[in-house]
This record gives sequence, structure tokens and C-alpha cells, in this order.
Amino acid sequence: MNRKTYLLSRFLQLAATFLVILTMLFFLFRLALPDPTTALVVEGLSSEEQQLVRERFGLHLPLWQQYFIYLKNSVFLGEFGTSFHYKAPVAPIVFDKFLNTMILMVVAILISYTIGPALGVLLTWKRGGKLEIGGIVTGLVFRSAPMFWTGMLAVMFFGVYLRWFPTSGMRTLPFDSSGFLDTITTLDFLHHLVLPALVVSLYYMGLPMLIMRNTMLEIMGEDFIELCRAKGLKERVVMYRHAARNALLPVVTQAAITIGLAVGGQVVVEVVFSWPGLGREMLQAVRTSDYPMAQAAFMLMAFMVLAMNFVADVLYGVLDPRVSLPREGR
Amino acid sequence: MRNTSAPRRSALWKIYGKMFTEPLRVIVRDPLALAGLVILTFIVLVALFAPWIAPYDPDEMHRKVEGVLFRLSDGEARRLAAEWPFPLNAVTMRGDEIIAVGGGGRIVRFEGGRWVEEATSTESELFAVASGERTYAAGDGVILRKDEGEWRSDLVREGTAFKGLSLAGNSGLAVGEDGAVLKLSASGAWEEVPHRERGKMASASLANENLGFIVGERGMLLRYERGSLRREMVRAFRDLNDVHAYTPDFALAVGARGTILHFDGTRWREMFGPETRDLRAVRIVNEKLAFAVGPFGVVLKYDGTNWTSVETGYRRNFRGLGSADGAVLAVGSDPFINELSPPTRDHLFGTTHLGRDIFTQTVYGSRTALLVAILASLVVSFIGVNVGLVAGYFRGKTDDILMRIVDIMYALPFEPFAMILVLIFNPSIWIVILAVGLLTWRTNARVVRSQVLSIARRPFVKAARAAGASDFRIMFVHIAPNILPLVFLQLAVAAGFAITAEATLSFLGLGPPRMHSWGTILHAARLSGAWRTAWWWIIPPGALIMLTVVSIFFIARALEVLSNPRLKNER
Repeated sequence: MNRKTYLLSRFLQLAATFLVILTMLFFLFRLALPDPTTALVVEGLSSEEQQLVRERFGLHLPLWQQYFIYLKNSVFLGEFGTSFHYKAPVAPIVFDKFLNTMILMVVAILISYTIGPALGVLLTWKRGGKLEIGGIVTGLVFRSAPMFWTGMLAVMFFGVYLRWFPTSGMRTLPFDSSGFLDTITTLDFLHHLVLPALVVSLYYMGLPMLIMRNTMLEIMGEDFIELCRAKGLKERVVMYRHAARNALLPVVTQAAITIGLAVGGQVVVEVVFSWPGLGREMLQAVRTSDYPMAQAAFMLMAFMVLAMNFVADVLYGVLDPRVSLPREGR
Repeated sequence: MRNTSAPRRSALWKIYGKMFTEPLRVIVRDPLALAGLVILTFIVLVALFAPWIAPYDPDEMHRKVEGVLFRLSDGEARRLAAEWPFPLNAVTMRGDEIIAVGGGGRIVRFEGGRWVEEATSTESELFAVASGERTYAAGDGVILRKDEGEWRSDLVREGTAFKGLSLAGNSGLAVGEDGAVLKLSASGAWEEVPHRERGKMASASLANENLGFIVGERGMLLRYERGSLRREMVRAFRDLNDVHAYTPDFALAVGARGTILHFDGTRWREMFGPETRDLRAVRIVNEKLAFAVGPFGVVLKYDGTNWTSVETGYRRNFRGLGSADGAVLAVGSDPFINELSPPTRDHLFGTTHLGRDIFTQTVYGSRTALLVAILASLVVSFIGVNVGLVAGYFRGKTDDILMRIVDIMYALPFEPFAMILVLIFNPSIWIVILAVGLLTWRTNARVVRSQVLSIARRPFVKAARAAGASDFRIMFVHIAPNILPLVFLQLAVAAGFAITAEATLSFLGLGPPRMHSWGTILHAARLSGAWRTAWWWIIPPGALIMLTVVSIFFIARALEVLSNPRLKNER
């Protein structure tokens, strides 16, 4: 299998998986709501308007036809219905919230995937010492501490007690902004970003650190490291320039996968910091039984997981020419 | 280990016993894993014995009573006493001695900055205390007298709750809620004062031996003069709670809805104060200074013409006032919900905003955490191991299909999926277990499958097949025991994940309702809004989640060596 056909087959697999998830969602929601009209029609519409919505979603047609209309609407038309809560189309709202989540997660993951691997190298370098055990324990502790808890502690200490950082939202209210870019290109935004980004990156840091350490341990046994040492290179150069570079691959692919999962996976951080992101939106949708919103948010989250897994596959092939396709892994 | 008398048993023990002793040996050898095992054992014990360890019911709203003493003078309102754990109803001062009375027949002396309890013969609630030549206390069916430092029963009268008591020289006056009016004669005996008034009486005050006033419900205001009662002309209709006659020409009475009445020697007149809440007690210091107090920390000051509010910073109920030189003493406090108390000896981890004991809730939370961990990890392992076994053993089409399903499961982010489940069904502990079960077996299946793939090629499997063993037998009798270390490892990992997952869902308010879990405690803290400052509410449940999960991680890390011996040299 050459690379192109491999990637193509992975892409088809992605599409098929997404289709299965869409199907599952369709039937799950139909299971929950035998009368789909309630899920798609906002209360308070006139009967003619209700009729219009019904026709657009094909609610008068048999179930299998409804299913295809649902697929067409959600995949090709980006039509997810009208939010019960906002009384407005779901898609633009979901997209806004998605950007808010992404900016937080990408920053946090960048931080943890810069510092984490460096620490991983350090742990391998200082092997067998107190530093190694300390590093592993710290990494595991941060991974086991639930993020909503560390977030609450951070708010309590840095926000309320020391008053260093604001503790909720993306900007100090009230603020004017003409769009997403306008919102995030301010110092005020950065100030708001510090605490949530810190909490998320501390949680994520352990994984790349431990992955890096494991890969490094494997690589340290290889011949070219011996050769480097024989050339008389400093240990620091051997570690960071030669060994680390070759050990980065699993970390990079893990970073891509983590970004995909983070879109939907970190509801709690958004809740603790009142960050107006997708996860918080979805929680609110669940609380208020805003079915179209919950459905669209979930679709986007699942899609991001799939897409970033695909990106990880692509990166894997691009970065490591030795890799034998197809690979086996998590 | 070798047992020559029972070779068969010893052989079995060798095979199956090892499955249990070997992991234990590995754990004990690794200091981190050992620490994890100790912590985990501790938490399991706490969960098992929760009802015995927890001092209270987790939903019990704890009340707290705090007796309080204030000194109110012209310039300041100063809090004097440290806490006294019972309400105080009235206070009096005789010489340097401050004496207060309260619930349970308790009489306390304020001495050297703290309360000292005095011995009494009664357990009835005491409502009033007054001092003249002697000190008297009155309460539910009883009047007490202090004689040479000892409290004795002076009068017992079942059914009469003596609410008011006043002394002037040798004379005294006591009134009961049921309308009884007693006067203290010069001989020291209490004598009935006959009258035809009906209605509950609340308080009495003597200006001198011959003149005094009595107040009661619905604006009752009586003049006591030389042993007889007469109704005063007054337009008040609200309940009156207290009266203080300073001289025959100056008296004040207070009552419900901020009512204040002023006596100038000839007639009673209503005054207007800044308060519309109830006033419980009033006390005059001199012509130019008087105080009135009430529930919710209300303190009013009278400067001879106007009433103004005094800020004490105290929000609980004042019940009684007593004269002191140049000032008045205020006592009070009703039982209140012991909300948001920082850790104390009674509440090791403090209390919530509803006065619930956080220590108790945390102890019970360990049960939910472990229950979810055990059930969910069993579900996960059951699905994962079976899928992995079947896929790895049969390979080909079966493998393809099963692994594609695994791929699909990998695309489902956990929290959102659980949220969808909660949206469609209702939150319960089973939804949490279902969510963890449905979403976590994917990793187990993959790991088990790859192990089975390699084991299935080993000679002993081929031998079994040649001997005619069925697929089922080969899978579960020949292959399964070989992947057990791996299954234990995955079980531990799944348990750790399940605890975090349950905590997360509960924190989001999607967890099992009416169950105490560590996540629910944090959820309640967030909802109450108190979490930003109430550190004692946040730290214990989160720390326990962290400790439990990290212990499981440590143990799993040691067990990894068993399932993957290659790691042995790396550690």
C-alpha cells in the first residue's frame, strides 16, 4: 500500500465513521423524542411557520426519508435547525463557541506540548535519580487531579485571594468587539486566558512528558546514540538534538489527537471559568433540553476527533519516512 | 510453597495462586505502588465503614447556637464574650457581676472574658433575670433566687412561664405569659396581684417600689401602682415585648413592627423609629440615652429626642438588655444554621451553605466513587476482553468489523456523549456506568486483541486445536489465563477513569441525584457560589479524587511490568 492509497483509505474510513455517528445520533434523538416536531420546531411559532419548518426537515415524510433529509441538512447544507434557547439558527452560534474553545485549547496544548516533552527528555537524562521519580509522580498527580478541581483551586488562590487574574469569561464586561479576532487581540483577553490555559496545560503536560520519556528510553539504546557519544558530543547535545528529535514523533501525533478530543472533552474548565465555549454551550443545551443545539455541538465535537485523528495519521507518515503503513496503535 | 502431601492442590496453586501472589509481590516491591495500595485500602475501608466513621447524617442541616454579649454605650457597640453555646435570654449586672440566663435552666456569669456556668436546680428555660438587693431569675414555672452564691428555687408554679421580672429595693414584680402577676412582698414572699386583664404578658418594670408598668400582647400596657393594676390609655395595638421604667416620669416600651412608646410622666405616646422590624427589648441609661434591640442584629439608640440605628456588624437575634453603669448589656442569639463554617472540632472539614457536614459527605462520597469504579470497570473489562478475544482469535472479517466498531467508539468524546445520554435518559448512577462502559472498552479491546494475536500463534494453541478443542474452549481456557495480567491492569486503569468520569459528570450536575459523591459536593459548592472562598469545601473531595486515582495509576504502573516483561529492565 503506498501512502496515497493509505491516506485515501483512512479518509474513507473517517467518512464512514462519521456517517455511523450521524446515524446513531439520529436514532438516539428519535428514541428520545418520538415526536420530532418538538425537537425542531421552536415554541411560539405560528402554525404556518411551524408547517414551513416541518417541510424543511421533512417531518411529514416516512422515517427513512427523514433520515436522508437529516443527512443532507447536516452534512451538505450546514442546517442544524433553530436553537430553542436562542431562538436563532444553531450553526453560527456553534461556530462562534467552537472558536472560543479552540483558542483556549490550542494555546493550552501548545504550552503543554512544548514544556512536556522537554521535561520528558530531562527525566530520561537524569534517570534513576530523585528528579525522575519526582517528575513521574508530579505528572501522574496532575493527570489524576480532576481539572474542575485544579481550576477551582486556581480561581480561589490566584483569582480571589491574590487578585492577580480575572476568573471568568473571555473579556471584562461590558466590551465592544466587531468579531472574534477583535476579541482575542487584546491584553484584556490574554489576562483572562492565563488561568484557564494554565489549568488545562498542567493537566495535559503529564502525557507528552511520559510519552517522551518512554520513547527516549527506547531510542537511548540505539546505535546512533552510541556513535554520538563516541564522537565526544556533550550529553546535552546528544539528548536534546539527536535523541529528542527522533523521539518527537509520537508526541506530535498525540498533540493532534489531543486537540481533537479537547474540543468536546473539557467542558468542566469552561464551566469553572465561565468560558463561553462549545462545551459549556452543550451543557446548557442539555440542561434546557435544547435538542438542536446539543445535536449540532456533538456532531462538531465528534467530527473534530475524527479529523484530528486523520491529521495525526498524515503527520505520522510525513514526519517519519520509515514508518510502515498501516500502523497499529491507539 | 511446595506441599508434598497434596501434589495436585500444590500444582493448581502454582498456576492460579501465582495470578494473585505475583501482582502483589510486584506491588510490594515498588514503593510508589505500595503507597498506592495503602491509600487505596484506606479509602476502601472508609467506604465500607462509612456509617460508622461519619459522625452525622450527610443531609442533616446543622444548627448552631451562640450566646453573645454586647456592651452598648454612647460611643460604641462592643462585643464582649467569646461564644457560649446556648442562647441567652436576659442579662443583669449587680456590682461588677454580670449574670445572664438562657435555655436549659442555665445561668452563666461573665468572668475574665469568658462565661462560667453557675449551678442551678432547674432545667426549665429561663426568660428573665433581675437584681436588686438580691438577684432573681425567672423562667418556665419557676423563680430562682441567689442566696450566698447559690441558686435556690424561690417559687415553683407549674404552667406559668414567667417572662418578665423587675426588682426595686425590697419590692419586686414578676409576670407570667398566662397573665399571672406576682409581687414580692417585704417579707420575701411572692404574692398574687389580683386583676381582670386577659392576654399574654411579656415584661414588667418597676420605676420604684410602688410604681411600675407591665406590657403584653396586642398593645396591652398596664400601670402597677401600690399593688393594683390599671389599664393605660394608649393607642398601640401591636404586641409589646418589653418595657423599662427609669423614673416615674420616664419609661419606654417596645414591640412588634418597630413600635416604640414613650412615657413622660403623664401619658404614653407613640414614637417613630428607623426600624420596621420587631424590637425585643429596651433599656434606659439616662434621660439622654436609651437602647432598643431586636432580631437580625437590630440596635437602636435614643438620644433624648430621636432614634437612630447602630451598626454592630452582628446579624443574629438580640433577645435581652440589662443595665450597666453608663451603658447597657445586650444578649441574644437564636439557633441558626451553621452555614459555611470553617473546620472546627465538630465539623472536621467545615460545613456547606446549608449547614451540612462536609466530612460526612466526603466519607459517603467514597462509597459512590468505589461503587462506580468497580461496576464500570467490570463492564468495561467484560466487553473489552470478549471483543478483543474474539477479534484476535478469529481474525479476518470478524476482526475487521470489530475493529471498525472500535474506531467509531474512538470518535466519541466522553463528556459530550455522556451529556447526550443524560439528555435522552435521566441522570442516574446507571447512566454514568453505561457511559463509562460504552466508551472505555475500546482501549481494552485493542490491547487485548494485539496480545491475543500473538498468543494464538503459539504452539500450545495449535496443540489444543489439534487435540480437537473447540474455539470457545481454546479462547477461554487456553488463551484467557495468559492475558489475565493484562486484564487486571486494564481493570485498574478503567477504575481510575470511572472515578474521574463520575466526578466530572456529578460536578456538571449530570450525576446521580440524591447520592453523595465527591463530584456532587463540588457541584453544590459551585452552585452555592461560595466556592470562591470556602476552601474547606473544595479541597477535601478533590484531594480524595486525586489520591484515589493516583494510587490506581501507581499500582497500574507496577502491574505493567507483569503484562509487559520487557519493561522490567527499563525501570
